[in-house]
Amino acid sequence: MVIEGRSLGQIAWMRLRRDKVAMGGGIVVVFLILLAIVGPHLVQNPNVYNSNLIDPTFLRPKGAFGGISVAHPLGVEPQTGRDLLARIVVGAQYSLLIAFLATVLAVSIGTFFGVVAGYSGGWLDSLIARAMDVFLAFPLLVFALALAGVIPSSAFGLSGNSLRIAVLIFVIGFFNWPYMGRIIRGQTLSLREREFVDAARSLGARGPYILFRELLPNLVAPILVYATLLIPTNILFEAALDYLGVGLYVPTPTWGQMLSSAVQNGFYSIDPEYMLVPGLTIFITVMAFNLFGDGLRDALDPRTR
Amino acid sequence: MKRRSTFAVTAVGAIAALVISACSSSGTSSSTPTSTTGAAAFNAGVTSVVNPSSAKGGTLTLALSSTPDSFDPGNTYYAWVLDFVNLYTMPLFMYKSCPGTCGAQLVPDLATDLGTVSDNGLTWTFHIQPNVKYEDGTVVTSQDVKYAVERTYDRTVMANGPTYYQVLLADPKYPGPYKDRAKNLMGLTSVQTPDATTIVFHLLAPFPDLPYVLAFPNTSPVPAAKDTGSNYQLHPLSTGPYKFQSYQLNKQLTLVPNTQWNPATDPNAKQLPSKIVVNLNVNQADVDNRLLAGDIAADAQGTGVAAAAQARILANPNLKANADSAFTGRAWFAYLNTKVAPMNNLHCREAVEYAVNKVNVQTAWGGPAAGGAIASTLMPPVIAGYKSFDLYNALSKPTGDITSAKQQLAQCGQPNGFSTNLSYRSDRPKETAAATAIQASLAQAGIKVTLKGFPSGSYYTNFAGAPAYVHSHDIGIAMGGWSADWPNGFGFLDELVAGNTIAPTGNTNIAELNDPVINNLFTKSNTITGDARTAIWSQIDMQLMKDAAVLPMVYARSLDYRAPSMTNAYIWDQFGMYNYAVLGVKS
Repeated sequence: MVIEGRSLGQIAWMRLRRDKVAMGGGIVVVFLILLAIVGPHLVQNPNVYNSNLIDPTFLRPKGAFGGISVAHPLGVEPQTGRDLLARIVVGAQYSLLIAFLATVLAVSIGTFFGVVAGYSGGWLDSLIARAMDVFLAFPLLVFALALAGVIPSSAFGLSGNSLRIAVLIFVIGFFNWPYMGRIIRGQTLSLREREFVDAARSLGARGPYILFRELLPNLVAPILVYATLLIPTNILFEAALDYLGVGLYVPTPTWGQMLSSAVQNGFYSIDPEYMLVPGLTIFITVMAFNLFGDGLRDALDPRTR
Repeated sequence: MKRRSTFAVTAVGAIAALVISACSSSGTSSSTPTSTTGAAAFNAGVTSVVNPSSAKGGTLTLALSSTPDSFDPGNTYYAWVLDFVNLYTMPLFMYKSCPGTCGAQLVPDLATDLGTVSDNGLTWTFHIQPNVKYEDGTVVTSQDVKYAVERTYDRTVMANGPTYYQVLLADPKYPGPYKDRAKNLMGLTSVQTPDATTIVFHLLAPFPDLPYVLAFPNTSPVPAAKDTGSNYQLHPLSTGPYKFQSYQLNKQLTLVPNTQWNPATDPNAKQLPSKIVVNLNVNQADVDNRLLAGDIAADAQGTGVAAAAQARILANPNLKANADSAFTGRAWFAYLNTKVAPMNNLHCREAVEYAVNKVNVQTAWGGPAAGGAIASTLMPPVIAGYKSFDLYNALSKPTGDITSAKQQLAQCGQPNGFSTNLSYRSDRPKETAAATAIQASLAQAGIKVTLKGFPSGSYYTNFAGAPAYVHSHDIGIAMGGWSADWPNGFGFLDELVAGNTIAPTGNTNIAELNDPVINNLFTKSNTITGDARTAIWSQIDMQLMKDAAVLPMVYARSLDYRAPSMTNAYIWDQFGMYNYAVLGVKS
């Protein structure tokens, strides 16, 4: 009888599968990603006005619950009659795209500087650590508002929404890297003193080799976990920027902008459903990513239980 | 027990911040203010004075979602500011303070009478009241009126406001007092002041409507020694019942009674509240909620409540009794630029005219009750001489005529459509909704429109009203609204479509239409009077629609709400909103 050894990954997967809550979150996450990729091709045009569905006196959708019907399963927007399902689905694409790419950016910068700082120590460590403190103390929202105000309508060969997306990814990603950097630095500090690193060093391995062949593979787990947990923060931040009017251009449907129009036009008082839909969507998305991220961490690193 | 990650905590914190900011910006009260007088009724303010009172005291609070172009009487063109400045200015003429059509009647304000004109129609002489004082006690002279006119010539400092003087008066090249090299800054030779109470205007050609032009607040006296150029808006020297106590740009204006003001010289204004506060840049839903809760007296912008408040008001008889659905004489439309490719091709502009779904646009403006009726002409029906016609099937096919649009696109050489930009004021929710409605319906004809939102305060100064900006940014379509500068066709149409009104900044002929047919009709209109003159307005209207220079949207109605505490409230016909200079508050 052969007893098969199980790899770390297999063990983690087994643990993760047993965690029902995390799996639930994971399924929602996978569904959202699929929705964001294929959904926009399946729904109707999110920008088409349907004034025939709007009560001309009160400007709210005809019918109950925000005008829910077979053609418009989530109802329509007050005043314009645009399909809510289409706006949510297309909005998911923008929200997730920006949040994912911003996370990739934050994780890349954070990991690089975290490993370098943690491994090198000395003045370089102090310098990077202070830089991270500066970034953490930076009033990010204010900076984002100011930056969106001064960005011209075209720059770096981009214009319109593509430029805005690039700016949002940059702002959100670039200013979130210290969170990642600190965690990675801490992990590196403890790993650097472990025996296998000493062993590699005594065999003549040099800095880059130790960094990328010895340390980095051991950092994959925390990187994966915290990246998963960074995504919902970034989704929220993107929604907040959209809400404040420095996100994507009108009429691009985004979740934050839908919330903003519900509040600023006062639609919440005549058609609460219109505010509920994007609000719940953001809530479910953030919840799912957080549950999945927590489960992932428990699976990869049981000591944190 | 699982330990929740710091990320989850910050995420929750962000949600909380979002919710808190949402709540604080809409401190709504669900209690319904009950009317305490029998005088208030739906639309009562359109024809009568609601809550007439001469009680003094209290604070009158107004608010609006945007900012003024300027509070400087020489540098504004927004209707609500033209109405509002009567609280602290005395132009030569003004409109009579009374409800109904009486409010379109021109009366002397600083002037003593309607003036005299020479036989050839070129020289107008006016006398001003001798004993009007500024807030600092100095006496107003006719030289101050002349100086006020002079300063409007420098469009680099006074970018907004009408351009009539440069066209009408005899020295159009005058650079304005800030660049004038004359010693006493009295270089404008076409305006003369023989003595301290007389002012004479010399015109290039006869112009029967001159007194209307002089009813703009830019004839309100400005002492040259006190003029601070573009900073004058921070504290214009008052001649009216109120003076500036403090003004924080884009935030708040506070007015207090002007002790030097003499009611005998200014019978069309009142000095009732002990303080007037205008809050600027308040979220529109917040304005509406505070209005319905009775915290503020009126929306200073005077263009009506937003969609949600509209629904609440029309559904509740108690609230409805405090509302006026005023036909404002305003038109909402979009300029179709005649110089920006490919919109410089008539057929491309005609395609836009046909393709837009006018019902969607009307709903965006607030529907028939609060937005207005679908328009097929630029000139609204209240203007004498209005004739109805429908060149682009706006009335016969209100949901858009894509077939005709496609034909025009083919004739334009753009059978698959084209791309252009549309400018709008992003701090106005209804205008934003209308802009996206146009974008969505033009997309169905293959015309790809990119929206460019700008703030109201600088929309005409730096963006849509600056042809250089319009050209360099390819703005083919620009949202606009207009009410007559004075109640006839000339006053409505001239600044919108006459070729000689195109200005480098603060431009209101945003289509840059310079059609000789129209220009000649305007010239002709100044040589004739009576019905023949009135007939010209509709001809100009027809010609500009043939040029497809303007896409009419609605003849505007606005649903205005007057707080029950506000006294002497009525819609002032000339401006289509409440007369701010006579309001009072119940204490």
